Amino acid sequence: MNTRYSDKSPLYLRIPGIVGKILILAAASVFTAFPFVWMVVSSLKTKADILNTDIFFPSEPQWGNITGILFNSPIPKYILNSAWVSLVIVALQIVSGAMLAYALVFLKFRTRKILFAIVMATYMLPVAATYIPSYIILANWGILDSFLGLIVSSTVSIFGIFLLRQGFMQIPKGLVEAARMDGASHWRALWEIVCPMTKSSFITFGLMNFIGTYNNYMWPSLITKTSDYFLVSQGLRAFFVRDGAYGTEWALVMAASAVVVIPLLILFAFTQKWFINGIGGETGMKG
Amino acid sequence: MSTPKVKRKFKRRYDKLPTVLLFVLPALIPLIVFWIYPICRSVYLSFTNWDFISPTYKIVGLKNYISLFRNPRFFEALGHTVVFTAGTLIPTIVLGLVLALLLVRNFHGSGILKFILFSPWITPTVAISIVWTWIYKTDGGIANTILTALGASPLKWISSSDTAMLSVIIVTVWKSLGYAMIFYLSALERVPGELYEAVALDGASKWRTFFDITLPCISPTTFFLMIITMVNSLQAYDQIQVLTQGGPSGSTRTLLYMYYQLGFQEFNMGQATAVAVVMILLTVGLSVIQFKASEKWVHY
Repeated sequence: MNTRYSDKSPLYLRIPGIVGKILILAAASVFTAFPFVWMVVSSLKTKADILNTDIFFPSEPQWGNITGILFNSPIPKYILNSAWVSLVIVALQIVSGAMLAYALVFLKFRTRKILFAIVMATYMLPVAATYIPSYIILANWGILDSFLGLIVSSTVSIFGIFLLRQGFMQIPKGLVEAARMDGASHWRALWEIVCPMTKSSFITFGLMNFIGTYNNYMWPSLITKTSDYFLVSQGLRAFFVRDGAYGTEWALVMAASAVVVIPLLILFAFTQKWFINGIGGETGMKG
Repeated sequence: MSTPKVKRKFKRRYDKLPTVLLFVLPALIPLIVFWIYPICRSVYLSFTNWDFISPTYKIVGLKNYISLFRNPRFFEALGHTVVFTAGTLIPTIVLGLVLALLLVRNFHGSGILKFILFSPWITPTVAISIVWTWIYKTDGGIANTILTALGASPLKWISSSDTAMLSVIIVTVWKSLGYAMIFYLSALERVPGELYEAVALDGASKWRTFFDITLPCISPTTFFLMIITMVNSLQAYDQIQVLTQGGPSGSTRTLLYMYYQLGFQEFNMGQATAVAVVMILLTVGLSVIQFKASEKWVHY
């Protein structure tokens, strides 16, 4: 398709360049993949193997480490907590975000510009600066240390509003107006006309925020203290520090990390194109 | 003036109001309750001596700020924040661009390379920081095994104040590299092909082409990544909490980590919110500087 990087120089002159390219890519991939590989091989080692730096692979894979984590540890419970709390949060964020983005693009009202400026400003502020007052609000409402508190404090995604607004602006205004002429409500126009046309923005929004919420650590760890309500990051950290007997049970800690990380890598393998096309195309800096 | 006319005008102006409110409020109410109000409240609390436990507190004026500016720990944390932000921002952007340039033309296996390079970004920082703790272990850690095999002397990584910051920076760059790469990949694809053809006719060298065409064309992405990486670095918490907890001897304590320690460990809410206000001002200040500077080098 493109001639942009084509090089007409003879092959022998291009060889150093090609070798250099392969070396850089190989080094970067090994550096990136190594922690994952090391996590998996370490998770299958015995206590003796893991402290022996001369062996890379386990002498005999200890599948018991993995099954122990799967059936005899709180890690699967944390994974489920993270999964369903994130699903609820992302669903709420999609509805609230789509409605606000629709209003910003298709409804005419005088404070529209100011509203967008406010949303834009909050996007860049450090979220941690809100934590102390937000903590007090949840305490006053009596929903600290609960799933409800986690959900209620995260029902809006500023990133998502940007992403959807960007997508909605590509839709010809006439389409929505025509639907309104035919008697469709704004609600129906949003979900039956605008949403199907910007499906990819919605999918990218859903996936990005699902992963972000699923992995979130600082805010959930501040407001939840009972392990029943731990999301996966906090649960894993607790396991690492306390249950996993920090410094002695490295194989188990690596097995727990692997059990947490591998499902996400599988999810990513199937949804890769939504991340790569979705986020790359939306720098949010134009328009 | 006739009343019906005024009424109609009134009606026209406000008959859309319920619809607008219906569409705006589901996002606006949480935004006000958990973003805008807390930011304002933090500013207010930074002028008080509240300790979280007592029901009452006094306005103490600038006392929190004065004691912060007299506290060497604060300036240390500020310095660490600057080092951490620059130390993550520059390698992430430069290496992200290099990788994107090498991967922009599809070849056999380029898809799997993109998958590998982006994968750290979707995994929980806590999980991978635990893995890195294990890699960094001073005796028996694989990082030192590799260094020794290469003939270098082993490092103490996260257990020495000389190398702890470097260790945290490596993990952060490792995690965000693929993210920068993805943004650059799509920016490079959008550079108009005619531009390359035009300079190719002029016989421009590869380097000239890169500096005269590619770099200016992707400058909006560079600018966006600088802002995003900066904001993320200013707020980095997960990897610091797992790897070093701000130590050893405060060598990885950033402003955000100091805020966490003051607020949620020492319950000194006045001082903690004062640090939060400094962080807000720092973010706003750095963004304004970057926006101003961008007028000189970003080409839309």
